[in-house]
Amino acid sequence: MNIIIASALLGVVLMLSGVFLNHAKGKRTLAIFASIILMVVAVVDVMQNTNNTILHFNGLMATNSFTAKLNAVIAFCSMLYIFLFSNEISKVGLNDAEYFALIFFALTGVFILTSYQNMFMLFLGIEILSIPQYILAGSDKRNVKSNEASLKYFLMGAFSTGFLLMGITLIYGATGTFDVSKMALMGSGEPSTIALLGILFLIVALGFKASAAPFHVWTPDVYDGSPTAFTPFMASIAKVAIFAAFIHLFHASFAGLAGRWHIIIIAIIVLTLLIGNVTAVYQQSVKRMLAYSSIAQAGFLLFAVYSLNEISQKGILLYGASYMLATMSIFAVLIKMKDYTFDGFNGLAKKQPVLAFAAAIALFSLAGIPLTGGFFGKYYMLNGAMQNGMPIWVLIFAVLMAAISVYYYFKVIQAMYFKTSIQDATEPDAVIDVPFKVMLIINTALLILLGIYPTIVTIF
Amino acid sequence: MSQYIYLVPLFPLIGFLIAGLGRNVLGKTLLGWIPSMAVLASFVVSLLIFRDVQHMDPEHASVVVQIYNFFHVGNFSVNFSFQVDQLSTLFLLIITGIGFLIHVYSIGYMSHDEGFGKYFAYLNLFVFNMLLLVLGSNYIIMFIGWEGVGLCSYLLIGFWYKKKEYCNAAKKAFIMNRIGDLGFLIAVFLIISRFGTTEFSEVFRSQAGIVANGPFILAVTLCLFIGATGKSAQLPLFTWLPDAMAGPTPVSALIHAATMVTAGVYMIVRSNILFTIAPVTQHIILMVGLATALIAATIATRQNDIKKVLAYSTVSQLGFMFMAIGVGAYTAAVFHVITHAFFKALLFLGSGSVIHGMSGEQDIRMMGGLKDKMKTTYYTFLIGCIAIAGIPPLSGFFSKDEIMMHLFTNGAYGKVFWALGMIAAFMTAFYMFRLLFITFFGKFRGTHEQEHHVHESPALMTMPLIVLAILSIGGGLIGVPEVFGLGEHWLKEWLEPILLKSELAHIYINELSHRGELLLMAIAVIIAFLGIILAWSVYKNYDAKKQNKGIAKFLEDKWLFDEAYDNAIVKPTFAAANVLKTNVEEQVIDGAVNGVGKLLHAASNRLRYLQSGMVGFYLFIMVAGIIALAILLFFIH
Repeated sequence: MNIIIASALLGVVLMLSGVFLNHAKGKRTLAIFASIILMVVAVVDVMQNTNNTILHFNGLMATNSFTAKLNAVIAFCSMLYIFLFSNEISKVGLNDAEYFALIFFALTGVFILTSYQNMFMLFLGIEILSIPQYILAGSDKRNVKSNEASLKYFLMGAFSTGFLLMGITLIYGATGTFDVSKMALMGSGEPSTIALLGILFLIVALGFKASAAPFHVWTPDVYDGSPTAFTPFMASIAKVAIFAAFIHLFHASFAGLAGRWHIIIIAIIVLTLLIGNVTAVYQQSVKRMLAYSSIAQAGFLLFAVYSLNEISQKGILLYGASYMLATMSIFAVLIKMKDYTFDGFNGLAKKQPVLAFAAAIALFSLAGIPLTGGFFGKYYMLNGAMQNGMPIWVLIFAVLMAAISVYYYFKVIQAMYFKTSIQDATEPDAVIDVPFKVMLIINTALLILLGIYPTIVTIF
Repeated sequence: MSQYIYLVPLFPLIGFLIAGLGRNVLGKTLLGWIPSMAVLASFVVSLLIFRDVQHMDPEHASVVVQIYNFFHVGNFSVNFSFQVDQLSTLFLLIITGIGFLIHVYSIGYMSHDEGFGKYFAYLNLFVFNMLLLVLGSNYIIMFIGWEGVGLCSYLLIGFWYKKKEYCNAAKKAFIMNRIGDLGFLIAVFLIISRFGTTEFSEVFRSQAGIVANGPFILAVTLCLFIGATGKSAQLPLFTWLPDAMAGPTPVSALIHAATMVTAGVYMIVRSNILFTIAPVTQHIILMVGLATALIAATIATRQNDIKKVLAYSTVSQLGFMFMAIGVGAYTAAVFHVITHAFFKALLFLGSGSVIHGMSGEQDIRMMGGLKDKMKTTYYTFLIGCIAIAGIPPLSGFFSKDEIMMHLFTNGAYGKVFWALGMIAAFMTAFYMFRLLFITFFGKFRGTHEQEHHVHESPALMTMPLIVLAILSIGGGLIGVPEVFGLGEHWLKEWLEPILLKSELAHIYINELSHRGELLLMAIAVIIAFLGIILAWSVYKNYDAKKQNKGIAKFLEDKWLFDEAYDNAIVKPTFAAANVLKTNVEEQVIDGAVNGVGKLLHAASNRLRYLQSGMVGFYLFIMVAGIIALAILLFFIH
């Protein structure tokens, strides 16, 4: 619980640092320091937590060992994010202190989403997470694409918020409560149309935030248009938080009606995997390919919504961790490139072996190749869904789609290792200093560690 | 002490990382000695653990040390855990002990190679994987090691990758191994589906309910055996091993003679309980082993590449081990693995020393008379030849003799198998001494330049030869038969707890009398001497110019196995592929794929309009989607 307060306070401190600190370096250092504090708080939370669920704020929030671990994983990834990207973040525009502050405010939303117990908090969490992202998307003020991304994201986000509110209202009408745990009673008897419609609207709203098809249309434009320093945050940390919320709600409240809404989740999974993977194949820009790939990855995360069992809980930790780490790695490399097209990566392995290796491992993990975390993540997701009786053809379809993903992920690896380029691939002024490389290596080592020791995320 | 077992594979792993990452940074001294010391450290720990196991009550000496829970899904869980018992500790000593000697030897042998650091990194990675294979307490960990050694074998065979044929040899080894690995993998899946676990102790405990010779156990054991034929170069998957000689010679000694190729034997001995209840599989193993031993021995008699002779000899000796497995004599199989590791590593390293002295020449027709110029190499090589030929009291005699005894007493046809085995043993003595005489005796037949350059190898290379020679002489002492009155058969006692259930199933009906046993030994020794004498009479004045004809030519051409595989499998496959390419691929598939591609392109083109950037249109898509989902929710379930 401390972590919500800590992230909000740190956000305020960082915001004020813009007034008191003049040097960009000072603000960066402060942000890095803040992210370490956040990690420490998360670890303390993990150590204090027992297996029992503890209610906070009159039952608005609830924490247990799972939420604490998830928070710790997210806090750790946030720390890595700040470490890897702080240089680039301060280069986006003049208001660098505010960018860091906004990231920490968004993190407050993230931590609310991982442990809410009341649909009121769900709504607040989503909005607290979303509004900073609208601003961050448009932070490169002189860039038309950035402005466009921000405005689009905001308009469509507002639209989906309408569905979220309507869904919550309808559920309240059907059950008479906002409390997530009490709605579990809904399973008995024939469900009312109001309840089903409410569930549908909640799927729409959460599916929108998670960029599940057919509500994904905003994703390529926003991810592509936003400054590259912020895209990994949106695509990894924010997305995993949305999924945590999604799964918690459907696990705790609507499990009794699973027979009714499972078909919708299947339809969304199939559509998301298909659109994400097929469209990614035809992209010319790696950044835009990664936007579509994040849609495809969302398809796999949706399996956890279907499964509602212990395996999927472990799966979301593992998949989430490896997905966040891999996204961070690949974007950290991408941001140093002069040219975001596939050709821009030509011959990178010769010039920057560390960057190329980190990118290759990240792409292996995203594609689900064994000895990286992504493999076991996918395995847990599919296994959990299978145990819960998912039709076998959906699983086969998912594996086939993962095979397609190998094509576009490996195009980057092929460019890096098997093609040569005349000009220097990286940005001339790109700072590839030793600490950055060390962080990248740590990131990569963790991805491999998750591949050979996957249970590590569920024990500690 | 057993709880420190993780140190054994850890040292080579660290050595691999240091040598691999520092290959361009560190000097040659460090790059050579750090990996060697890593393996030595593993050897010391293995030795301590071995002594620990020795002092424990044999029944309770088997310990499973869990490092961590690898993954756990639903009811199926795989532990990353190591099994410390009599069998695995024995193999640990072989792998790390011989591994260390070969590392030291390599420092001398590879000193002029530019890929020095890479070589040692691979070598340490190999040792790590081999240890994983031997230590794993379940089939999954064993399989990881199994694949790992296959990968390292591939990397080291193709170590001099600039030569196309070496790369082809590496690919051949990899593909043939993959065929075998598929068998292994299917066996593991069958075991999981039946037992719900891959942990050795649990699988072997729950085999009680399985019908002996039933379809399930036959499928499992046959699939495991197919895995073994790939890795241990048995018929029909043996042709990769002679080609694997393309790698540096120490690699041949370590991987393709002493350790990796015996992995198949280890795996079957480890699973002996499963094989004991599948006598049909055992018969097949016996036949395959016998055929391999005979065919490879005949080929070895006519090879002119010093390493090829040894390679076919290895295949033949592996055949002996599988014969032992086929009659349920697991102790004898392990015994032969150990002694073979000693003398074959010695012979390979000796041949490496010769090649080194001859500046890379491998053709024995170009050698001759080397015994005065390379004294240490000659004497150690001679010891290796005597050991493999089966002359007492050197190690090869005891292990081969034990296998022969078991063949002889095995059922009604045992004597036939014994006789055939003796033919293979006769040829072993013949081809080894043929090699010795041609290489070290007679006149030098190479160029003047080579003659001038011939020199004894440095001490770094001869010291391992001497150590291995001593082991080849004395290695047989671990399994002296009781008939000599020197006490009990140590190895048999040692492996007793592992093989308890299987040995009970094999009560020898016509146990030999002591006199009969001594008589058989005498026959074996006479036959070995006959082989040596024949080799001496034919090759004491060797004429390199003489061309082989008839059967000899057929043997020199290796029974045309490669050509047969080429004609029977590779060419038809290519022909079929061509037909499929022109007819099916270009017309049907391409049409369909291009059709799909065009469709996708067209769709993508349309989708581009969807991704128009117009927010209003985006919202329209969303609403359309919501309506479709609502229909799905309310009207279709």
